Amino acid sequence: MQKQDQQLARQLFAISVEGGVLSVEKVAGVLAYLEKHPPAHPLPVLRAYQRLVKAEYAKGQAVVEHAGPITDELLKLIEDDMTRRYRRTVSALAKPSPALLAGLRIRVGDDVYESSVSNQLAGLSV
Amino acid sequence: MSTVLEQIEQQIAKLSSKAVRKNTGVIRTVADGVAKIDGLSDVMYNEMVQFPGGAIGIALNLEQDEVGCVILGDIAQLKEGDEVQTTGKLLSVPVGKGLLDRVVDALGNAVDGRGPIASTEFYPVEKIAPGIIVRKSVSQPLFTGIMAIDSMIPIGRGQRELIIGDRGTGKTTIAIDTIINQAKINKVGLASGDPKFRPVYSIYVAVGQKNSNIVRTLGALEVAGALEFTVIVAAPAADNPANQYLAPYSGAAIGEWFMENGMDALIVYDDLSKHAVAYRQISLILKRPSGREAYPGDVFYLHSRLLERAARLDGKGSLTALPIIETLAGDVSAYIPTNVISITDGQIFLETDLFNQGIRPAVSVGLSVSRVGSAAQIKATKQVGGKLKGELAQFRELAAFAQFGSDLDAKTKAQLDRGGRIVELFKQPAFNPIPIEQQVVTLWAMQKGYYDSLEIKKVTPASVSLREFFATRKDALLTEIRNKAALDKDIEEKIKAAMDEWKATFVA
Repeated sequence: MQKQDQQLARQLFAISVEGGVLSVEKVAGVLAYLEKHPPAHPLPVLRAYQRLVKAEYAKGQAVVEHAGPITDELLKLIEDDMTRRYRRTVSALAKPSPALLAGLRIRVGDDVYESSVSNQLAGLSV
Repeated sequence: MSTVLEQIEQQIAKLSSKAVRKNTGVIRTVADGVAKIDGLSDVMYNEMVQFPGGAIGIALNLEQDEVGCVILGDIAQLKEGDEVQTTGKLLSVPVGKGLLDRVVDALGNAVDGRGPIASTEFYPVEKIAPGIIVRKSVSQPLFTGIMAIDSMIPIGRGQRELIIGDRGTGKTTIAIDTIINQAKINKVGLASGDPKFRPVYSIYVAVGQKNSNIVRTLGALEVAGALEFTVIVAAPAADNPANQYLAPYSGAAIGEWFMENGMDALIVYDDLSKHAVAYRQISLILKRPSGREAYPGDVFYLHSRLLERAARLDGKGSLTALPIIETLAGDVSAYIPTNVISITDGQIFLETDLFNQGIRPAVSVGLSVSRVGSAAQIKATKQVGGKLKGELAQFRELAAFAQFGSDLDAKTKAQLDRGGRIVELFKQPAFNPIPIEQQVVTLWAMQKGYYDSLEIKKVTPASVSLREFFATRKDALLTEIRNKAALDKDIEEKIKAAMDEWKATFVA
């Protein structure tokens, strides 16, 4: 990917954020603009833009992988804790994952909080 | 009591189930030993990152949206989308005496098939060099065992002396000779039981060399019995560029352990030209802007930060560095040679012409210099070899001039004759370092004109015979010279008597 494409994607991403939060309307506006005025290399620009939006979106979502059952109270607790920790609204999303054997694995953006049996077993094997 | 135990158990259970936080990223591309990673927002510069399958990488490029990592290990298993995680640790290598007599790779893993390294201590591969306050000036000699070097371009403990020359001029041989000489001195010193004796441990870092060359070096050290005092760090040409880039720093970390713990060490970087090429390769793949000869802008810093780690520390030990640079067609004004020349405290320049003329080691006396070593030279060597460099320089000048005319005055003829004898005297076979006390008597004989009556071609055999005579029959005198490190009237008389005795037996 050329530097210019990456720079354009960054600029488009910057205008998609409103008050530090990704705006759905702004993203739609950017896409509409790109459709009307396609850049020199539309595919790499759109891919880079998608990556940035995806990364930003992931920062506001806590994906809670769990092996056993999980209650709504626990999800709410996680939401509150992550919102406090990251100083932004974080919503929790439950995702069953039997491979964990037991425990939880929470992903918020790049950060992963792991408290699963599979991880502890992996640690023992090293 | 049981309630107390329960409380402790509860506390342990609480801790053991505590969630572990990891910062992760995802591989976007992998090519030529370098991975571009999305995420890893908390990664630090030079931090180790963990790839799936046990491979580790080092974060070298921290960009706005991605991280560029060099991968150390097998990259065949890695693919786009694999998860990578930070470790919070800088790359470290095992250090200590457990590494002596071993061959390790750039990460400190044993590659000699003799099991794991017995070491519990680790040092970071990248470390800021010692500052001004903790340093001490170079004042103790480090004998190479090569007469031309010890008498004219002396090296001190803590010095950085560059060995530079074209391919096949004997650069590695000088380094290996020096390592062998340290082992010989160590054996004599340790056997003497002198509590003040400080052994010198050696580290040989092979960067971008053929495996066969490394094996040959290993063999030479083994035959000379020097391996027990030597660590070999191997990053051969078949290794990925990341390992070749890291190997000198790993070697420096191993050497620093000796220095920090009050011991003396010698490190040979063989060679930094290939190191710079490996770094250029990494930098180009990481898409860093390239400069002169396509090297990145920080190629000077690459070597300066490495060589600055060689030092003599106040109240501790020392680390002496012998970096090697290979030139093309004797061009010392190329980019990397000029950089390293300016960083080091002197250079030993080896010439192809001299080598082809049979003058080995092919040290060019005019272009070689030691900026600090003369402060570390022992008095005895100064007494017998103080004027040699000047005499040889004069000889070279006159020899070039004398080619144009046949009629020379007696003084010029005498100077040429003497110069020719000095050149012959300094010829020395590979892997055969000469102890300093034997060098002193050899040079003393030259100073006093003992070789003047011989044919020039007979000077080398005569000096060999002289040394053998002293080693076998005048060991007490050699020990006295070694211990006193200076020639007084009494010693000179003893040398003269021994010399006359030798002359009577020597048949040219």
